[in-house]
Amino acid sequence: MALPAALPTLLPPPKLALRGIAKRFGATPVLDGLDFEIAEGDFVSIIGPSGCGKTTIFNIIAGLLEPDAGTLLYEGAPVDGLRGRVGYMMQKDLLLPWRTVLGNVVLGLEVRGMAPREARDKAMDYLATYGLAGFENSYPRALSGGMRQRVALIRTLIVDPDILLLDEPFSALDYQTRLYLEGVLMEAVERFHKTVVLVTHDIDEAVALSRKVVVLSHRPTRVKALHDIEIAERSPIGARSDPHFSGYFHALCSELDIQTKRVQP
Amino acid sequence: MKRAAPLDTAFGRAAIQLTLVILLLAGWEGGVRAGWIQAFLVGSPVGIWGELVRDVSNGSLFYDTGITLYESIVGFVVGTFAGSLIGLGLWYSRFVARTVEPMIVAFNSVPKIAFAPIIILWFGTGLTSKIALAISLTAIVALIAAYQAAKEADPDLQSLLVTLGADKDQVFRKVIVPSALPGIIATFRINVGFGLVGAVVGEFISSQHGLGHLVFTASSLYDLNTVWLGLFTLMAIGFGLYFIIDLVERKSLPWKLDSVRQDLRV
Repeated sequence: MALPAALPTLLPPPKLALRGIAKRFGATPVLDGLDFEIAEGDFVSIIGPSGCGKTTIFNIIAGLLEPDAGTLLYEGAPVDGLRGRVGYMMQKDLLLPWRTVLGNVVLGLEVRGMAPREARDKAMDYLATYGLAGFENSYPRALSGGMRQRVALIRTLIVDPDILLLDEPFSALDYQTRLYLEGVLMEAVERFHKTVVLVTHDIDEAVALSRKVVVLSHRPTRVKALHDIEIAERSPIGARSDPHFSGYFHALCSELDIQTKRVQP
Repeated sequence: MKRAAPLDTAFGRAAIQLTLVILLLAGWEGGVRAGWIQAFLVGSPVGIWGELVRDVSNGSLFYDTGITLYESIVGFVVGTFAGSLIGLGLWYSRFVARTVEPMIVAFNSVPKIAFAPIIILWFGTGLTSKIALAISLTAIVALIAAYQAAKEADPDLQSLLVTLGADKDQVFRKVIVPSALPGIIATFRINVGFGLVGAVVGEFISSQHGLGHLVFTASSLYDLNTVWLGLFTLMAIGFGLYFIIDLVERKSLPWKLDSVRQDLRV
């Protein structure tokens, strides 16, 4: 969508824009010029066939990898990556096993140089809000998978990052825990007005949570399609029961070349 | 469920262990008295006991033990500490690490005991040379283990710290050091033994005191009871140090402990 040249000054620039981002590993081209934008307060899901370089995109946005070509624009200004400004969550909870729950939650505050006492108080508030009061002195290995991922979510939220980068954060959890944590996430995103980028292989999750879905092609990866999801109900269960849900679900499945209907003989 | 054997308790096991030791000593003593075993070549428990009483009452056993303990503990602490620090430090520079790696491997492939004669030449026949030998044995083990452990720190945890805005020093302090710690502490067990090896071998080559001196001079005089006394004392020292290390490990790595101990029945 090309805007007239005079208009962009009137509109706020997108929170984050990828322009022609390309990356190859050795002789293998992974990303072949990616373009998409994420508006302030948006919830964008990235879906694509496995091995299409979703995690690579994340690592570039997070500033862990440098793209071979293309630019990353943050609020209109080119940046190298968003080190220290993103909240990164992966399928692995990445809790430091030698730190207690409290120690893990304050990690980001500690890195930013917050006074230990202040960090501790803030962490205790967050732990209470997310139902983990009383677990502050437990080590991660004593917690269930769902609780560990909840601690990881608190650790991510507490540093108040500009953008949340979520790389299949709930895919290792059972369905019940996952619905619950999706709800916690949605509630937090709404309360703190966060901008979220979610990578998932789960079309169901993408439709239920996001306002916009970016569909990627096979490697070398380009943006294959963009879908706006218009589902009024924002809760994970409510969204899944919305009449429009299944329409989006099937549209995205066919974008990914997944057969959702029985092939006629 | 299988029922545990009635003797499989702390007390039961201790009783069995004690019985086995007593049977062994009684068999040994009986064999010597019956003339089946030559006391001249193997000594005898009663003779060893007599030696123990003599060396304890004149204080020489404590003195020798103290000397050997001092040499091996100083060697162990200095060697392990220095080696671990250098090994962890190598994480900072891939360039330096890759450059020195073959040299470390080359140095490590020499049996370190073979350095003993030069070390005695350089550091004299006193305590310093034994400590130096213990350091050369322990430092290399600690260095390699620490470097390996630092290299194996989870890259995803390092990435996490970077996305939180951490610099290299923070990644080192908050991820590399704590995740390498179990590997480093595991070498303490090995190095406590190597510290003793360094001290005793140094004493074999040239010394006036120490348990190595005791064992070496007694065996050249065919005084087998004194040799056994020295060996049993070394065993007791090694055993004691092992338990101290075990305690250190449990105190410093509380997150590794099982809150609920699960026994796997095979």
